[in-house]
Amino acid sequence: MSSQAAAAIQVTALGKKFVTKRGTFRRTRVENVALAGVDLAIQPGELFGLLGPNGAGKTTATKILTTLLLPDTGSARVLGLDVVKETDAVRRRIGFVFGGERGLYWRLSGLDNLRYFADLYRIPPDVSRRRIANLLERLDLSERQHDKVELYSRGMKQRLHLARGLLNDPEVLFLDEPTIGLDPVGARELRVMVRELADAGKTIFLTTHYMFEADAICDRIAVIKKGAIVAEGTPSSIKRVVEHEGVVEFEVMGMTPERLAGLRDLPGVSSVVVADHELAQLVTLHCAHPADVMTQLGVILVGADLKKVSSREPTLEDAYVHLIGEST
Amino acid sequence: MRRVALEAQVFARSTWLQYVALFQWATVTGYIAYKVLLPIGQILFFVEFGVFATGRQNALYFALGNALQLTANAGIYGVIATVANERQYGTLPILLGSPANRLITFLSRSIVNVIDGLVTVIVALALVVVLFGLDLQRANLPLLAICVLVISLTTAGMGLLFGSVGLVMRDSIVVANVVYYLFLILCGINFPVSRLPGALQLISYGLPLTRGVEAARQAAAGASLIHVSGLLAGELIVGAVYASCGYVLFRLFETYSRRGGLQEAY
Amino acid sequence: MRLRFVSPFAVLAWTFFPLVFAALGLFVLNRPGVTSTQLAYGVLGGGLIGYWGVTYLDAGNGIQDERWNGTLEQIFAVPTPLWAIILGKVCGGLLWGMLSFLPTLALAFFGFHAFLPHIDALPFAVSFAALTISFFAVAFMLTPLFALWRWAFSMLNGFELGAYVLCGFMFPVTLLPQWAQAVAGLLPPTWATRAVYASTTTEGPHDYVVWWAATIGLSVVYLVGASFLYELVQRKARVSGELALA
Repeated sequence: MSSQAAAAIQVTALGKKFVTKRGTFRRTRVENVALAGVDLAIQPGELFGLLGPNGAGKTTATKILTTLLLPDTGSARVLGLDVVKETDAVRRRIGFVFGGERGLYWRLSGLDNLRYFADLYRIPPDVSRRRIANLLERLDLSERQHDKVELYSRGMKQRLHLARGLLNDPEVLFLDEPTIGLDPVGARELRVMVRELADAGKTIFLTTHYMFEADAICDRIAVIKKGAIVAEGTPSSIKRVVEHEGVVEFEVMGMTPERLAGLRDLPGVSSVVVADHELAQLVTLHCAHPADVMTQLGVILVGADLKKVSSREPTLEDAYVHLIGEST
Repeated sequence: MRRVALEAQVFARSTWLQYVALFQWATVTGYIAYKVLLPIGQILFFVEFGVFATGRQNALYFALGNALQLTANAGIYGVIATVANERQYGTLPILLGSPANRLITFLSRSIVNVIDGLVTVIVALALVVVLFGLDLQRANLPLLAICVLVISLTTAGMGLLFGSVGLVMRDSIVVANVVYYLFLILCGINFPVSRLPGALQLISYGLPLTRGVEAARQAAAGASLIHVSGLLAGELIVGAVYASCGYVLFRLFETYSRRGGLQEAY
Repeated sequence: MRLRFVSPFAVLAWTFFPLVFAALGLFVLNRPGVTSTQLAYGVLGGGLIGYWGVTYLDAGNGIQDERWNGTLEQIFAVPTPLWAIILGKVCGGLLWGMLSFLPTLALAFFGFHAFLPHIDALPFAVSFAALTISFFAVAFMLTPLFALWRWAFSMLNGFELGAYVLCGFMFPVTLLPQWAQAVAGLLPPTWATRAVYASTTTEGPHDYVVWWAATIGLSVVYLVGASFLYELVQRKARVSGELALA
């Protein structure tokens, strides 16, 4: 059996663009490429993370795989079924959860929300009764099952979303930024539950822009930037992208475009990230020879107030930043 | 047989849950305001104006017409609001990502509102009997009931069309308001359709209510089913056409959204 | 005011709804033997309904928008007192509402060849001014109710056509039962509307002074009542903090 036939999710050269129109009287057509030829293969039972910044194409990819969007080019198969041509069959065997508070009926109780969605998925009443009770227990919602969703906390709503996504006992579960907006405790609890689902044999496709989240629970990760996959592998293998590099960090007051350009032009510097930190800027340089770079800082940044210069080994987050190549 | 019973049970439960989740007037004050005060106000206003303009002998004409037009309160406003609430809650993507039967999902949005429309009209007719002395002794009550049911269905059919439009139009309730009030002019509610200019009469007969109200007026005067069957058949056809167009639009918009449009709705 | 041009509801309120009522009235009255009084109600009724509708809806919708956006409590933190904010909204509504007469009079004239049979200019002008004051007073008093109670706006919307009945916008309140006339008499616009219509016909009584006095007197009472309501709203917002839950 070929690896392609065994893949739970198989994506080949997937492309998607959105067209919007700008202006009131003279309307100009603007194309936004959301996916630019993405290839992915996710094995059954794998917890796969798609990592990328906002607007990278994560939600677009998820919506295509969950049959809510049609691709423009390429193909996508879930459990061997084409998401375009075998839509109903795919829908019966997958579950999906989008992050955020929308997607539940606030006037209904948690229990009634699940009953309603179970009816939509045509789950027989005796099966749904057992399954709903089980899910509410597992997701720690039993005590509040009769309360209206409008009274639930953010974390409870997200757990209810997860329960809804599991109603039809899907073989593949899609989670699009499931921890967004949750407090750290709630987010960690959800991550533990997601890992347990994967350990129980479900294939999980998770999107997130938190590197630590992907690192904590995913078996494999792909990093997506502007609709294209820029790296794919285990967390360890992705970290090796930057293992030959070091990181120099410092605080400065008075960063100018000219000084920034000077930093970028230093030999061996692969990326410069600037973030506001109180009244100063925190600059993170990824470079091949941190010691050499540190000696040049005084020259490039003459006149600026330079503080707390340090160097360290790169982390997984550094790898992500390196791959995404963001700077402010 | 068991499977049919199961489907019926599921359908009934879904309809009930949907009513609680999405019904526009699910609060006490909302129901009183829009299902009690507004209908009473409408009937009183048009009857008093009609008496002022044409004489007390025509009070029942205005009373009956406006009582029947109140089905549009549920059929138009109610259905559009149900779809709009669905959009507001963000549950459309989940519905569309499920294997649920599209036609049943679509039609079920109107069922509660049809029932609500029936209740509204029955209460309004009772009011007309009490306040304005509508004499129902000569009326063909079963036929009148059938007319009311038909009108509830056809206005809901039009509501389904505008509900679909509401998926792409943010201010769909504006459409509901326009349509509701246009019914008052175009459907023979407050004056005979024959008073309208020719072109408007054509529009009038393309709308729900026009034939149904005429049939109901004849039923209230004691006519038999044979006399009004043509009107009722025409009314049902009009309603079915609107509902069908609404379903086609619903599926078209779903496909369009899957192509990448309408992201704010889906 | 700029928002009125782009808000669909605002456009409906000052064009469509007045036109509907004007058209309804004129179609019903489009028959032989109609009297000059009946005709006057047909010509002016739609405009009056639009004028009233825009005035009270503008302020009410403004409060509802603040509530839906979750900013109702925050507008109490601004230096401008609430009554001044509402004053602006109501005045804007009045100016906008007057425009309702344009489409309705145009429909009457061009669509039905109907125009006011008669007009006494000075009484008409004074009566119209009194009507404007009465609309202002009622709208100004109603608005804090919308801030206090979530259900108030729904209830008023439900009572909309009832208000048209009691104020006599499209038919004389003298047609109503005695008890209803007594209730109508508690509303300032009722008296002013009666004066406006009286100035357009030679038929019936013309007790302008009584009607104007009643309008102004009741308007003052409503404004005094409004001042108590604004105080109550301030207390609810700042002392008990209940406005955020409203």
